[in-house]
Amino acid sequence: MRKMTTAPGCDYVETREHMLTTDRKMMVNGNLTANAETAESGVSARVYHHGYWGFASTPATDSKSRNKVMNKAVDNARVMSQFGDRQALDLGATAYQGDQTPQRKPAMSQKETIDFMQAIDDHCKQRYPGLKSTTVMLQEEHHRKRFATSNAGEGLNTIDRAACYIFMIAEDKNGKPVELAEYVSGKGSFADIDLSIEGLEPRLDSLYDHLRAKCDAIPAKGGEHTIVLSPELAGMLAHEAMGHPCEADLVLSGSATGGLVGEPVASELITMVDFAHHYNGKELMIPVYADDEGSEAIDAVLIENGIMRNFMTSRETAARLGIPSTGNARAYRFNDEPLVRMRNTAILPGTSSLEEMISDVEQGYYLMKTGNGQADSTTEFMFGIDLAYEIKNGKLGRAITDTTVSGTAINMLKTVDAVSNDMSWSCSGYCGKKQPMVVSMGGPAIRAKAHLGGE
Amino acid sequence: MEHEAHVVAQQILESMHHAGFEESRVSVTFTEQDELNIAHNEPALLRSTEDYNLAISGIVDGRKASTTLSDIDSAAIGAAISSIRDSVSSAPQDEANRFSADQHMTVEQGPLECDRDLLSKKALELLEFRAATTPKVMIEEFAASHRLRRSCELTSRDTTLSSVVGCYSLGGMCIASEGGKTSSLNFTGGNANDLSEKMGSEWFGLGEMLRDTERQIHTRALGPHFTGAVVLAPTAVTDLVSWFLQQLGSRALIAGSSVYRQSVGEAVAAPTLSLQSDFSAAGHTPFSTDGFIAPAITLIDNGILTSLLPDLYSSLKTGSPHTPSASSWRISPGAESRKALIEGVERGALVTRFSMGRPAANGDFSGVIKNSFIIEDGAVGEALSETMVAGNMKQMLRDINGISKEHINYGGEDFPWIRIPNMHFS
Repeated sequence: MRKMTTAPGCDYVETREHMLTTDRKMMVNGNLTANAETAESGVSARVYHHGYWGFASTPATDSKSRNKVMNKAVDNARVMSQFGDRQALDLGATAYQGDQTPQRKPAMSQKETIDFMQAIDDHCKQRYPGLKSTTVMLQEEHHRKRFATSNAGEGLNTIDRAACYIFMIAEDKNGKPVELAEYVSGKGSFADIDLSIEGLEPRLDSLYDHLRAKCDAIPAKGGEHTIVLSPELAGMLAHEAMGHPCEADLVLSGSATGGLVGEPVASELITMVDFAHHYNGKELMIPVYADDEGSEAIDAVLIENGIMRNFMTSRETAARLGIPSTGNARAYRFNDEPLVRMRNTAILPGTSSLEEMISDVEQGYYLMKTGNGQADSTTEFMFGIDLAYEIKNGKLGRAITDTTVSGTAINMLKTVDAVSNDMSWSCSGYCGKKQPMVVSMGGPAIRAKAHLGGE
Repeated sequence: MEHEAHVVAQQILESMHHAGFEESRVSVTFTEQDELNIAHNEPALLRSTEDYNLAISGIVDGRKASTTLSDIDSAAIGAAISSIRDSVSSAPQDEANRFSADQHMTVEQGPLECDRDLLSKKALELLEFRAATTPKVMIEEFAASHRLRRSCELTSRDTTLSSVVGCYSLGGMCIASEGGKTSSLNFTGGNANDLSEKMGSEWFGLGEMLRDTERQIHTRALGPHFTGAVVLAPTAVTDLVSWFLQQLGSRALIAGSSVYRQSVGEAVAAPTLSLQSDFSAAGHTPFSTDGFIAPAITLIDNGILTSLLPDLYSSLKTGSPHTPSASSWRISPGAESRKALIEGVERGALVTRFSMGRPAANGDFSGVIKNSFIIEDGAVGEALSETMVAGNMKQMLRDINGISKEHINYGGEDFPWIRIPNMHFS
């Protein structure tokens, strides 16, 4: 690879040989509706020439293909000169060198994974009366990305992510379907996360209890409320509400966070970081030691005790903003160019206990599970809420029907008056931004005021 | 290249037979794409990509497994077939596992060569429109692209579906800002066979999106709860149609969670609504994902649901008639003008997009309306912020009381504006 990483007249060159393998299985009511593996690989080249980028890729990794994509990328960058002369940015003189070689357990066999799914289906049928449907979904993916750059960067980036999703559907008293899901996710393959009936049973029991409660749910009252967000939702808040607006490409486009560095944007209880690879001495779920531009990945402290501090950058966006690269440029497939993406984004724990945070609320809601979330340049956010309970006089009341929580993060985070002392991480699902991406998110429970959809 | 796809597919099918599979399905797709990118109001990147996709499935003794790979090397294909052989032995027996039979069709459509000058011209036209008309807008990202897909799908049950499809795409995302105030992100885009027909800003509502975004820098909240009407722009109609199609699809039918599983022949929407297939739209082919020719269908005929959309597997599982379908739909335009739809709203909102969680299994949803404007006394007013709407998707389809004659064809979705009363705003 090293010999590919120069091109005459070009200001910067990078190449990436990228292999992605996935395994996806789905069982609906005992029927194996999906049982598919994928294996794809290819090589890409990206060059920076007189302020313009050229990119090319092909799904082959032989030397002829490598030369072909390099020549095509150079041609493409030169073609862009038709749009006029431009000053090239300084994309940095240094780069990371090193291979990421994680140690993982031996993979589970096909039979073991399918037997597990069948066992979950059987378990649900036997143990949980009234279920109309059970869906078990397993997904794992493994990336091996060997990069080389013209500023002497060279290395192997690795991502291994596995997730198990279990969906239960029951019917309410009117015969309408009511759905709830639980998931387990982690670094590695199926073998590295706890896929045992014994390990999952407490979670499934809890899921079923919540599902039954949700069958008798009442609508939320629409409007602003005191809410306690579970750690799962706080992680989503970190990612969606403040994470995306702190991505440097969005900042350059005019994101509301752009002029707020050094300004208070949250309660002093809030510190938020996009971690590169470790937190508290432990390697995180999506460890990134170097990004796909060969920049060393460093933690990006976005909010420190309520004050906006920094953004997540690529080489180009760092140069445009005049700040260091944080190593956030990541590509999902071999034919994707690196974009500014999050890695392991979290709100850090505080000192309160979840029980105290609920017991202090006279009237409000405890929001426990989210199906998805969306962000905006304004820091306005939205999460779909799949599971939540009323809080009345400091105690949990009835479950509420599916709703949506929204707000503007730089307003909402200022209302945070309690942060729990625990922390939960997950890496299920995908972040979408032109390309999909695997990320992790974490957080403690937080209490704030936000807007709930409802009657 | 089309010939090569067929040759590769045929070789794999033969290898599957020799490996002992009783039934096999092979789909080979070669894709080439050229894409010109704008970032932050400037031309930034030209990318050229090639992609190979070999999807192989096999059945032995009612047990099925699949794999997908990008390597057309014979050794890689041999390894993939061995892997399927291993997987299939541990898969459960299921007599509903079958592949398509006796399907024969060849499709060639769209521009098969990329005109790079045309991509540059459309990008420059949009940049010039922005500079002249909406200078407060920052085009965060925009792509003008051409994609060529050569595909061949074969099954051991005598199916051959071949296609060579080229199309252009334009699409982008933008923000507007002024004096420290920022609009919400806004975006649109679509596919077309001939971009030269119109200016870059005239495709897929791109120019209107830029104008709307500049008007969305300064917003206001709608105030206390009330019940009012929404006029959904075509981009928001997409959310409603997507939910509806999911309810008719295989997973919802097998899970038994579809709210329409017993509704064929019944009224599921206002009598003014008809939803029809457009399976040969730009960039599309009339082939279902399970390898069948998808005939044209009117799925909602003047409000009446004519069919569910199970694939072959879920049809055999549920007893619902198999209805092959592809991925492009249009709603028949109405008789009213878009202006008349808005004039019929006393209080409500013109909604461009819902930002919401997945609707509940029964269709209940609540979501923030984005890139949207207040409607008061029949006129569009200021842009809205932090406004939520709650309702039920199933009921919304029944409650439609206006469909515009204007519509936008995104090359895959062709929808008008529609008006729906009795929505809860908060």
